[in-house]
Amino acid sequence: MMADNKVELHIPSVIGYEKIAMECAASTAKKMGFTEDRIEDLKTAVGEACLNAIEHGNKLDTSMKVGVTLTVEESKLQVSVKDQGKGINQIPTPHIENKVAGKDKPRGWGIFLIKSLVNEVFFEQSPEGGNVTKMIIYLEK
Amino acid sequence: MNKDIQVSISQKDDVSILQIKGDVTAITGESIEEAYQKVTTTGAKKMLFYFDQDGYINSGGIAILIGIASESRKNEQRMRITGLSPHFQKIFNMVGLTKYTEIFPTEELALKDF
Repeated sequence: MMADNKVELHIPSVIGYEKIAMECAASTAKKMGFTEDRIEDLKTAVGEACLNAIEHGNKLDTSMKVGVTLTVEESKLQVSVKDQGKGINQIPTPHIENKVAGKDKPRGWGIFLIKSLVNEVFFEQSPEGGNVTKMIIYLEK
Repeated sequence: MNKDIQVSISQKDDVSILQIKGDVTAITGESIEEAYQKVTTTGAKKMLFYFDQDGYINSGGIAILIGIASESRKNEQRMRITGLSPHFQKIFNMVGLTKYTEIFPTEELALKDF
């Protein structure tokens, strides 16, 4: 669905469907004139936000959807990923040394990657319930 | 076998090459772990992970590779990587995997002086 400067899609809570959101974000960013490397950054960030929503937010419940909204502005692209879950616990910053040493589990890189790859990120609770990951990437001129 | 990934094993001198075609995720990672265990049981000490330039790697896949890096340290094996796109070379660097493996632009360079 597209209204003015917005593109919205809903994907099922099934691992693998995050790729559809990634491709949609990539196409939008390409149309806006983002460079190839920034498009790759965005794809990974969107994929990780969707995976978090599918796995940790909606807990793989196939009756729940993940909503992805892309908002196009002159100098930036905002991508919001919303789930229908109850809340995701904050994950501490991962350290590979602890993971390789077996002190921490190897997983837990999603939020770290999102924070590293987009210009701004906000983790919010939606007033009607669910978690929202809002990511902003700026066009460099 | 997962249809999103194909892992084949070959040998060049004393280096075991694990050619990974497709996505590297928590789901497909099982195939990589199996291939790693297979070469380990044959006594491999040098392993080259040859990734698909167009493949999709997510945080779940990165976790699998960290698990293998951890195992390889215990088993006194050396890991090298090639075939990664510039984006995933950057990601591997960001998470710190390059502290435990070396990334090379080509197979030839990865095999040199291994």
